[in-house]
Amino acid sequence: MRGAAASVAAFLFMPVVALAGAAEGEKKAAPCVACHGEAGNSVNPQWPSLAQQPAQFISTALFMFREGNRKNDLMTPMAKPLSNADMNDLAAYFSAQKAAQPKHQSKPENVAAGPGLAKKFNCSQCHGPRLLGQQHIPRLAGQQHEYVLAQLKAFKAQTRADIDGNMTSAAQALSPQDIEALADYVAGLSAE
Amino acid sequence: MKTIAALAVSAAFAASALAQDKPAPPPSWQQGKPAAQAESTLHPFAPHMTGRSAKDLPVNTLKVPSGFKVEVWADGIPEARSLALGDKGTVFVSNRNAKNVYAVTTKDGKREVKTILTGLDAPNGIVFSKGTLYVAERGRITRYDGIEGKLDSPGEGKVVVDNLDPNRAAGHFWKYLAMGPDGKLYFNVGAPGNIVLPSYKEAAIWRVQPDKGVLEQVAIGVRNSVGMDFNPKTKDLWFTNHARDWLGDDSPNDTLHRVSLKGGVPNFGYPFCHQGDTLDPEYGKNRSCAEFAKPAQKLGTHIAPLGMKFYHGKMFPAEYQGNIFIAMHGSWNRSVKQGYNVMRVKVDEHGKASKPTPFLTGFLQDEKADPPMWGRPVDLLVMKDGSMLVSDDYNGIIYRVSYGK
Repeated sequence: MRGAAASVAAFLFMPVVALAGAAEGEKKAAPCVACHGEAGNSVNPQWPSLAQQPAQFISTALFMFREGNRKNDLMTPMAKPLSNADMNDLAAYFSAQKAAQPKHQSKPENVAAGPGLAKKFNCSQCHGPRLLGQQHIPRLAGQQHEYVLAQLKAFKAQTRADIDGNMTSAAQALSPQDIEALADYVAGLSAE
Repeated sequence: MKTIAALAVSAAFAASALAQDKPAPPPSWQQGKPAAQAESTLHPFAPHMTGRSAKDLPVNTLKVPSGFKVEVWADGIPEARSLALGDKGTVFVSNRNAKNVYAVTTKDGKREVKTILTGLDAPNGIVFSKGTLYVAERGRITRYDGIEGKLDSPGEGKVVVDNLDPNRAAGHFWKYLAMGPDGKLYFNVGAPGNIVLPSYKEAAIWRVQPDKGVLEQVAIGVRNSVGMDFNPKTKDLWFTNHARDWLGDDSPNDTLHRVSLKGGVPNFGYPFCHQGDTLDPEYGKNRSCAEFAKPAQKLGTHIAPLGMKFYHGKMFPAEYQGNIFIAMHGSWNRSVKQGYNVMRVKVDEHGKASKPTPFLTGFLQDEKADPPMWGRPVDLLVMKDGSMLVSDDYNGIIYRVSYGK
């Protein structure tokens, strides 16, 4: 109910802007798809999918790469030349693409334990009951396995930039086993 | 000293070993959430770091009292937070998730936004005084002398004081910065979580003389303040304070406080007592609110008062002279949202503060939606002509409120 109300409000609010931005974004997205896949659906377990990620998450991530809060040898130089408007256009485009069904096969024990872990460690509190993300918070359902694993380890190690320290703070409670289980679980979830 | 540090380290190891068998500690903003609210989907909001263009937003729905006007003064300033005014008219703008300080100058009626400082650590607090820009980062305060003459190459900041965040604790690590009538810098060190027992440095207001670097306590029991100003008549310090979350929609109130600089370090009660009269369900056991100083005014529950300024400009009508304007950044920890506006508080000749009344409204669109608002006021700045700027970190926009003309 909440989700429905929010998306209706968002739709009424900025449809024209978002559509124009998405068209611009598609033109600017050509260099992105080499790694992030056709329409932002990555096929490499190390690299994240951008399709169907919340627009605010994508623009924030790009901003963090350009400003140096988040560092990555591949992404940092890609983000450097982008203006804020470019980032908003790319965000509009990728957020409007449909997430592909994940190729990752989660282990049965993690499928069973996953929902409980996601609740226990407060994942679903922000990422949503189906881990589809919202606002500045990314979609985890169906995200590439090795990428999620690397991010969780980095949050735990306090080396991954986030907004206001929320994810760093949440990750401190995770054991290495929890991280393995959660990454395996979410990577196999459908985002439909 | 070394022994204490060693004990603290071993205690931390012991705690982490014990933690294996206990439920996961919650992230800092969720800490203190009762079981009754376990299913709550309330969460803090984050800014659009790349900003949103004013032309794409319903800025024409903003409302001010009759005779006043509100307009977009500048956009394209990522996460515009605190505001400071230079002698030559430069408007300095801070942020807290980015690492920069921006300068906005006006040429031929057009605003130019320039990134002047980079690579800082949550540089939320800025204040300008006698040619110098002071910047409060997460763990230190630095100074940039003569900055308006060298906006293109301000150089490295000189450290005024550091070691303000030795634990790199989560929670309220960003700082607000104000210059006192005594020439000292005033700032907050927030509580490292929603409702926790703070260390001796945390949940307090401090001051420091720029050329000495020695800390002096001003007030304690202050969960987190992100707005301060001084009454130009009485020289008292006034500041806003955020009360704890997760006690329900209607408790407790965020507050406005007054501190005389003539002596004494008041304790405003955190984490034991909230809003001067409500004991904390956990920390308040076997305590009494009678032992703590009272706030000057209650401002609304979870409304998140940030920047506050006494109005002493020449433009607004006489009845606004000496009023306090307060930017309300929330609420998020409420199922029915309120705030997202600029409120007005009158202060009488005895220093008594009135209840707040809305002054600039229109950011709140749907009190039950997620998100409920399209913009969030953060800080206020009274300009030389008496107009007032309002920053909005959600969109990276600064608005200007003027009267007449």
